[in-house]
Amino acid sequence: MTISEKLPSRIEIIPEFILRVIDKIRPPDLTAEEIFNIKLCLEEALINAMRHGNKLRPEAFVEVNIEATADYLKIQIKDEGKGFDPGNLPDPTKNENLEKPGGRGVFLIKNLMDKVEYFDCGRGIRMVKFFRGKGGKK
Amino acid sequence: MKIREERHNDAAVCFLEGEININNSPELRKAFDELIKRGEKKVLLDFSAVSYIDSSGLATLIEMLQRLKKTGGLLRFSNMDQKIKNIFEITKLNKLFAIFENREAALKDF
Repeated sequence: MTISEKLPSRIEIIPEFILRVIDKIRPPDLTAEEIFNIKLCLEEALINAMRHGNKLRPEAFVEVNIEATADYLKIQIKDEGKGFDPGNLPDPTKNENLEKPGGRGVFLIKNLMDKVEYFDCGRGIRMVKFFRGKGGKK
Repeated sequence: MKIREERHNDAAVCFLEGEININNSPELRKAFDELIKRGEKKVLLDFSAVSYIDSSGLATLIEMLQRLKKTGGLLRFSNMDQKIKNIFEITKLNKLFAIFENREAALKDF
């Protein structure tokens, strides 16, 4: 099953889009925790693309490509922004950063997905979640 | 998201219901504004009916904690679902916030 869509950079459309995706891809034995984590990573990546990548410019789009099988879920999201260096972000779990309100989206994705890579100078992200017993973290 | 408030002696107990996400975090911030404006010093947020939280929700809670601290106030959380507790543990925000198993334990700690 695949999903390919171009979304306008409007944050308010994200929850409805995610609901639609989860409904479409959900394998029958996915746990509530797996669904929660996939939803969170998809939302954080879309917010980053729309807000930080496209700067919420109405004419800029976010490309979303999703491939779901019984064994894994692959999500690719690409914006039209200037890109960024994901290796150059502060660690939000360090004591000096704990009280900073922002900067946890990329960190959450890195920790909740099984494989994460950035491409095209940080304009794009590919993330993979393996389902239980298929090579994932759980 | 719905927010219902009850009083327990000198503490304001807010029952949050639904998702805390980027679209409704401003609503939560507005509710916090009211609590701060009223001069509340002991605030307990009950998470028993919260099904989801994202990084903007976490940011809103951190801002709330900072504002309460400035006025000498205290913030406590109770009844977090394991999925949400897991997000606090991964981000190490469980070190920043006082999280309790239930309301009674949280109220007792004020």
